[in-house]
Amino acid sequence: MRLRAPVEGDFRSRLRGPEVASRVGLWLGICFAVAFLTGLVSHVAQQPDPVVPLPTRPVWGYRVTQGLHVAAGVAAVPLLLVKLWSVFPKLFARPDGWRPRALAVHGLERLSIAVLVAAAVFQLASGLANAAQWYPWAFSFRATHYAVAWVAIGALVVHVAVKLPVIRRALTGPLDPSPDPEEPGGPSRRSLLRTTWAATGVALLTTVGGAVPWLREVSVFATHSGEGPGGVPVNRTARAAGVTATATAGGFRLAVVHGDRSVSLTRAELAALTQHEEDLPIACVEGWSAVGRWRGVRVRDLLALVDAPARSDVRVVSLQTRGAFSRTVLQDEYAEDPLTLLALDLDGEPLSLDHGFPCRIIAPNRPGVLQTKWVTRLEVL
Amino acid sequence: MTTRVVLVLAGVAASAYGVVLLLDRPTEDLVETGLWLAAGVLLHDAVLAPLVLGLGVVGARWLPARLRTPLAFGLVVLGSVTLVAVPVLGRFGAKPDNPTLLDRDYTTGWLVVAGLTLAAVVVLALADRSGGEE
Repeated sequence: MRLRAPVEGDFRSRLRGPEVASRVGLWLGICFAVAFLTGLVSHVAQQPDPVVPLPTRPVWGYRVTQGLHVAAGVAAVPLLLVKLWSVFPKLFARPDGWRPRALAVHGLERLSIAVLVAAAVFQLASGLANAAQWYPWAFSFRATHYAVAWVAIGALVVHVAVKLPVIRRALTGPLDPSPDPEEPGGPSRRSLLRTTWAATGVALLTTVGGAVPWLREVSVFATHSGEGPGGVPVNRTARAAGVTATATAGGFRLAVVHGDRSVSLTRAELAALTQHEEDLPIACVEGWSAVGRWRGVRVRDLLALVDAPARSDVRVVSLQTRGAFSRTVLQDEYAEDPLTLLALDLDGEPLSLDHGFPCRIIAPNRPGVLQTKWVTRLEVL
Repeated sequence: MTTRVVLVLAGVAASAYGVVLLLDRPTEDLVETGLWLAAGVLLHDAVLAPLVLGLGVVGARWLPARLRTPLAFGLVVLGSVTLVAVPVLGRFGAKPDNPTLLDRDYTTGWLVVAGLTLAAVVVLALADRSGGEE
């Protein structure tokens, strides 16, 4: 017997084919669309000067969009695996003849599928690793995940356009061949689909607890149990940010600066100003979120101390020396919002060092990376 | 047909924009990204897919027909969920100074999921048999 490369016809399972591929593909496409759109929201929200600023309401907006982003990626894993399985014989398809035109069409289709599969696998793998703060690569995750997202969604749209007639026929036609789907010899297409939905459901239930508190107990694979100082987990510790010494050193002062006007406040002086208490979520780009009870001074009250004009953006400077977010911009709608605090306490206790002691920003509907900790300076721009 | 042509053009434009963004990255980032992109396809097409295919062939040849559906269920559920859980099971991103990150007992969690999946496989197999006897 001679070994040879398989051809399409060698794969005989009747489970494979457009009936299963289209139905699983429909949900896979929905997951990728949700992940792409919510990813765009997150990307825009992290720009220092966004074209369309994120609104400050609802306060839980980013919590929902980023939770959906990660959940859509998780749900896409079983869907993608079954989808690829259902079309695997296509990998061995031969061109429709050897004329240049046929070869070119074949080559282009192959290329578009290769790009789609590579980008899709890359997005899911890199996203899942990032959610667990695992970086087995040296490239910038944020910039690369964003760029490949465009490649993936574009390749997906091309794929759907090319396959549209096949998809339409498969979705409107019967799932299993009539009259009897229960012919001897194992699973039906219907049972494969049910299995796929079950796998997707289990993947979701075991991971979403980081964003959906009432599912914490069943989310055995959540990256955060939800425990932490003041009931809020920590993303980046004081040690990792290199602020342990500076944040605890005596003589801490917060500087609020507007041109040549400036005030300098100790933590005790901050605590003597009018305090406000707000329940606001910390929602991280990694998908987890938690609501904290924050207490501190309204940022707009601090800005009033230096006569900042209305609608001013504010630069927030942190003590941290490492990381891309040691300086952030608080856009005017956040700076003016009565819910935006320079928090001193969390859950009735002074902020822990890892939550940003001596003081931190907490604003409604904002990515966690912009809720700057260990704040030392507010600068009216 | 017009819709499809418009969609293809829009898709190509979106992908091209992604490529432009990638080309903007430093060369070493770009090379590494290319390696990861290729590795993903290779890992699937040359390792995972043949493995699952082999299991399918073995199952179709040696397993009694009524066990195939429940076992396929078990394989798809546990296999894909395990793959999702690789980053937490390995605790590769754990940091000694952050006890709130990766703070669950993921191995026990996996054993529970595996046990429940196995129980579901048994229930499905028994339900199928009782259905066949009616």
